[in-house]
Amino acid sequence: MRRHGRTSTRARRGGALVAGVVAGVALVATGTTGGSVRGAPAAAAAPARDLVVGSAVAPPSLDPTSNASAAIDEVFDYNVYQHLVQLDPKGDVVPVLATSYAISPDGLRYSFTIRRGVRFSNGDPMTASDVVFSLRRAASPRSDYPYADLLAAMASVSSPNPRTVVVRLSRPDNQFLYSLAAYSNGVVLDPRAVGKISTDPVGTGPYVYESEIPGYDVVLRANTLYWAGRPALSQVTFRYFSSPEAEVGALKSGALDVIDNLPDPADVSQFVGDKSFAVIDGPTAGKIQVTINNSSGPLRKLKVRQAVAYATDKKAILEAAAAGFGTVIGSDDVPGEPWYLPSIDKTYAYNVGKAKRLLAEAGYPKGFAVTLTLPPYGYALTAGPLVQAELAAVGIRATITDIQFPLWISRVFEHSDFQLTIIDHVEARDIANYANCAYYWKYAGCTTVARMLTAAEEATTRSGEIAGFRAIVEKINADAVNDWLYNPDQVTVAASDVVGLPDSGIAESFDLSHVSIGGHLSATAKAEGYAS
Amino acid sequence: MTSYLLRRLGTVLVTLVGASIVVFSVLNVLPGSPAAVILGQQATPRAVRQLTAQLGLDKPLWRQYLDWAAGLLHGRLGVSYVSHVAIGQEIGQALSVTGPLVGLAMLVGLAIALPVGVGGALRHGRPSGSLLGAVGQVGMAVPTVVGGLLLIVAFALRTHLFPSGGFPGWSDPLQALRSLVLPAVTLGVVEGAILSRYVRASVLEQLRSDYLRTARAQGLRMGQALRRHGLRNAAIPLVTVLGLELASLVVGAIVVENVFDLPGIGTLLLDAVDNRDLLTVQDIAMLVAATVLVLNAAVDISYRLIDPRTRGRS
Repeated sequence: MRRHGRTSTRARRGGALVAGVVAGVALVATGTTGGSVRGAPAAAAAPARDLVVGSAVAPPSLDPTSNASAAIDEVFDYNVYQHLVQLDPKGDVVPVLATSYAISPDGLRYSFTIRRGVRFSNGDPMTASDVVFSLRRAASPRSDYPYADLLAAMASVSSPNPRTVVVRLSRPDNQFLYSLAAYSNGVVLDPRAVGKISTDPVGTGPYVYESEIPGYDVVLRANTLYWAGRPALSQVTFRYFSSPEAEVGALKSGALDVIDNLPDPADVSQFVGDKSFAVIDGPTAGKIQVTINNSSGPLRKLKVRQAVAYATDKKAILEAAAAGFGTVIGSDDVPGEPWYLPSIDKTYAYNVGKAKRLLAEAGYPKGFAVTLTLPPYGYALTAGPLVQAELAAVGIRATITDIQFPLWISRVFEHSDFQLTIIDHVEARDIANYANCAYYWKYAGCTTVARMLTAAEEATTRSGEIAGFRAIVEKINADAVNDWLYNPDQVTVAASDVVGLPDSGIAESFDLSHVSIGGHLSATAKAEGYAS
Repeated sequence: MTSYLLRRLGTVLVTLVGASIVVFSVLNVLPGSPAAVILGQQATPRAVRQLTAQLGLDKPLWRQYLDWAAGLLHGRLGVSYVSHVAIGQEIGQALSVTGPLVGLAMLVGLAIALPVGVGGALRHGRPSGSLLGAVGQVGMAVPTVVGGLLLIVAFALRTHLFPSGGFPGWSDPLQALRSLVLPAVTLGVVEGAILSRYVRASVLEQLRSDYLRTARAQGLRMGQALRRHGLRNAAIPLVTVLGLELASLVVGAIVVENVFDLPGIGTLLLDAVDNRDLLTVQDIAMLVAATVLVLNAAVDISYRLIDPRTRGRS
């Protein structure tokens, strides 16, 4: 992609991991009476207004169920389409089109109570059978859903009565709810409208698709039938910029109300201290990493990969590539995951001497030559030369090749024809990639991790789940499968009267369900991580 | 004349078929299959195979080519692999920006080239004529991107007379035109500079011709002689150039659309390449090829209409 920004646009998804639901006992969550129902409009008092959001990558299609591009989910997920359960900005699973759910003690049966009074934006009532249709569509053998694999454990889905949907799993999978919440697998569709999903999306969310100019903008308007009451904004326009300078200029001139995620976080200095703008930054689910081809030449050796990890100064790279907006990481493990281990980034603390010693021990006292393939994203193009210089300091001579993203997909991802590359794995909880022996980094320990993953996913206690995933986090760190650099933040800049924006980029959606201009934000929404 | 027209049409068709084979072949050797790009970084090989089959991309290449070519012959551009929207509709939307942009740019170019070129020819050999020539040289030497950025600084950021980029759509024609002014001027200035040299050369040639000398001998002043006899003759080579330049304006528009953030053919083409939306790229390439070929043919034909002498020889 020629555009920078939301990092690898079509990356994501993950293993089958999830929130710590589980527990031998049936667990219930509710979003009923009293307090704020999630998805309720934030600002009943404020008059309806329009909002213009600036963004970097335009959705290549309107259909999140047939394309992995994160730019589609950003606009359509949670805003136009909703799920039984969704992620709040803290990364927790919360009920939305379900009012509650219960999990059987053996972890094999999930029972959802469907919210009453929900209608699709075309007026059709949303029923349990629509949910059944949607989940079967996602899991069907002919499914094009980019994350359909995550539903592998789903054996059947049925609706014993009009208000209940029951999903049966063939094996316990404590990540099942998370994958329903985080990925397009969980969107609830209207079977009567699904034939025109690419041109006329119909969902239950607060906003309705109005129009688009491909590559330029997408316009949404308020869903007057929205089950939680009329949304606070009458129209939302996502406007796409190929030039970060033009995008920042448009926000300053008032043509935009919000930039969802600054393509170059260093631009934040232009807004800090200016009372008319607010900067909201929070973690994403991304892992920006030097991916190492574990099957290529010297990189086959553990000590060589460890040397690469010791040779890179992650903190310096985070400062240079993202102006410090992010967290240094040491494994496929980021803040926000229940099993996050903050100390794991210390394992390979920057140490040139140690890197040289390891290289010598591995039989490369004079180093060796490698290639470093860079996709056309800002973080990779900035971090690439730094990594190259740091590797040179220990004797590893890296030659940089810049390539387009489709070529990256073909050469690096499909054919593992690379030695080192820098890429953001933006999908949440994707540690299952390390259990996939065919995955492009060709990790030799994949079968062991696959066994560990099954155990972790089938754990029926919260502590068992966390311990299981931590063991994998530590195993791949010890094997130095990749050189993990940092977890980038989402840096949102908005006019200071915009209320209710998500304060993290953990969900793919740029969730506007609580956004208003100058409105009031409920205490519940604040607690879920919507910014006031 | 009829047999000439038929032959000219035949050449256009044969060239189009050749162009379609080249376009199709080049795009189909590009690495990065559409299905793999659509499915992204978590795709399994099975999913990629399945989607490839659904898109019909597992058929033999000759079959895919024939399907596409037959579609084009029937006026069907097909449906985008990526957005699942009819490509004709997407191109139509983009043309509603690029078409007026190119037209306006050509008007701006002519508005500059005619006075500068004719003036330069009439003042040939005098300092004022050399000055006009120099202005033309400078205009040509400034790259489009730089010219565009200078205009943005001067007329959008400093004075806010025109928007610095973006396109509000034709529902508000006045605003839409306002947002096309700076891009059209950017393209048009360079075009004007190029055309003015052709105008100047062509007019000069007529000024030196025998028939004009005769006209002047009969008492007409230089300007009168040129208006009555010279300009029509000077227009012949100019029309040829205009046709070719119109085609190069379409290409220039791709750059300018990027600078001014306009949702035209250039933006559509670049996005389609990024997304490996091969069918859309093929269709746009064929559209541009057909435009150039048809323009060239139209030029040749109009050449004959303007200049009766060329009708005899064919």
